[in-house]
Amino acid sequence: MPLLRAGAVTKLFGRLVAVDRVDLVIDAGEIVGLIGPNGAGKTTLVNLITGIEPPTSGTLVFDGTTLAGLRPAAIARLGIARTFQIAQPFRNMTVRQNVAVPALFRANPAAGVGQALGEAGAILDTVGLGPKREFSARALTTPDLRRLELAKALALRPRLLLLDEVMAGLTPAEVDAEIAMLRRVNAQGITLLVIEHVLRAVMGLSHRVVVLHHGRKIADGPPARVVEDPGVIAAYLGNRRPAGRSG
Amino acid sequence: MTPRTFGLGALAAAALAVAVAFPVFAGGYYVRLATGIFMFGALASAWNLIGGYTGYPDFGGAAFLGIGAYTTGILMLRAHLPFAAALLAGGALAVLAAVGMGTLLLRLRGHYFAIATLGFMLVLRQVAANLPITGGGSGMNLPIASAFTPFYYWMLGTVVLGALGGAIFPRSRAGYAIAAIRENQDAAQVLGIEPLPYKILAYASNALLFGAVGGIYAYWFTFIDPPTVFNIDFSIQAVVMTLLGGPGTALGPVAGAIILKILDTILTNISLFLHNVFFGALVCLLIIFAPRGLAEVLRRRGGIVRAIRAELEDSRV
Ligand SMILES: Nc1ncnc2c1ncn2[C@@H]1O[C@H](COP(=O)(O)OP(=O)(O)OP(=O)(O)O)[C@@H](O)[C@H]1O
Ligand SMILES: [Mg+2]
Repeated sequence: MPLLRAGAVTKLFGRLVAVDRVDLVIDAGEIVGLIGPNGAGKTTLVNLITGIEPPTSGTLVFDGTTLAGLRPAAIARLGIARTFQIAQPFRNMTVRQNVAVPALFRANPAAGVGQALGEAGAILDTVGLGPKREFSARALTTPDLRRLELAKALALRPRLLLLDEVMAGLTPAEVDAEIAMLRRVNAQGITLLVIEHVLRAVMGLSHRVVVLHHGRKIADGPPARVVEDPGVIAAYLGNRRPAGRSG
Repeated sequence: MTPRTFGLGALAAAALAVAVAFPVFAGGYYVRLATGIFMFGALASAWNLIGGYTGYPDFGGAAFLGIGAYTTGILMLRAHLPFAAALLAGGALAVLAAVGMGTLLLRLRGHYFAIATLGFMLVLRQVAANLPITGGGSGMNLPIASAFTPFYYWMLGTVVLGALGGAIFPRSRAGYAIAAIRENQDAAQVLGIEPLPYKILAYASNALLFGAVGGIYAYWFTFIDPPTVFNIDFSIQAVVMTLLGGPGTALGPVAGAIILKILDTILTNISLFLHNVFFGALVCLLIIFAPRGLAEVLRRRGGIVRAIRAELEDSRV
């Protein structure tokens, strides 16, 4: 029983085909890596799944519910969380208040204000932001903002979590810690779709890797097989983005 | 409850006790002055809900003030309803109008919203000037009240309601939604918040207070006509008072109203010219030196280094 099923999903921006007839199945419990050169359509695909943009055509079904026409808030409350590639903090709220917001508005089940603030503190400890919980979000560094994105997504108690480059800018040691943390998240039963340019991280973490290029899906399989795929190698070399680049 | 909120709460309770007893020992002139302060304290608190907490600069608050004033006037004069019932109807109608207009206008972004609300207010002014039931351009005379003191307490009620709203709102679930929407609407949506209903809630709360003030104002002044109640000056004053006291703070707008009304009264007594340039000059000074209000300036005395750092960080992006 797939958790998410995308059928021939397509997104046009004017004449640009950002996502081109992508079929994708994600099973409950999986960690799926999503890679591809700059402009491949990865973020756009996440925007389509989360309802930020409507697909031009194609179908998206989450756990039996068709996502077409649903607003982002409704999709979030179904249990799909995401992080933004460029962090979108609530700047004039504290770090803890940022994380309390999704706890107050999720469907699974929603917390009261006091409980949400308490829960936010616990989640901040797990992502390593515990000591900065009372900081204003505007005072965070870029890596900390990425951690905040992740904490907010977790506080929604999602079943599917879409991570758009949460590891960019981290040191190798921090990347290792992040991988270990995402494995723990996955072990709690949260299915992950991980967009990442840090190939070492995606390859080590993912059960399966999907490659997009010019909006098309050009590979879908176990990490070891995908890295050897001639089409994938050509896509990366053709874009002068050698595999293995970090950050 | 932190010691600071406890202290503020105790202060507010003491101020309320003094306010309730005030007409007993103060002369008529001061009671009238205080009534005016409460009136604008309520308007500023109301504007703070939509303009401060929600970040939607409403310039059409007088639309709701006018709806409250005319509904109260018409029901008292033509249906012979008692004042309290007419006032309640006026507030309710203002809320209904806000729900309707909010559904249309709150999809717009900030500056478009500002223009649209102003337009809405001007349309209502024209409508009121041309309907037979409002008395048209020649206005409407309400029954004359037997005593002034009740108006003092009615206005005190609205300002208390406004201050309570300002204090409770940011601590509530809806307040978190509003703050998240103000800070980043896209991020709020993907975390499960449907923005429009919460924006409408803030807008309708603002309208309730403007409408109530309008109803009380009409009965207090006993005469209303379209340019007096559908008057952008109410919004401008509410905005300036809120900016002065601190937008997005619980008691800032009330503090702003007290300071401004007292200064205004003193200046009017000294020189009408001073009084006229005062408002414009104050707006410029505020925007330049204290864009987040006096509340923020006071806060900075405690953590000035951190505030400066935050400010630098802000200008870097
Ligand atoms: N709102 C938009 N309007 C027009 N074009 C867009 C829009 N969003 C994305 N695009 C274009 O669609 C294509 C796919 O962009 P997308 O952001 O999905 O790529 P990506 O795979 O996430 O790239 P990166 O690795 O750089 O984040 C790009 O050519 C981009 O310029
Ligand atoms: Mg991207």
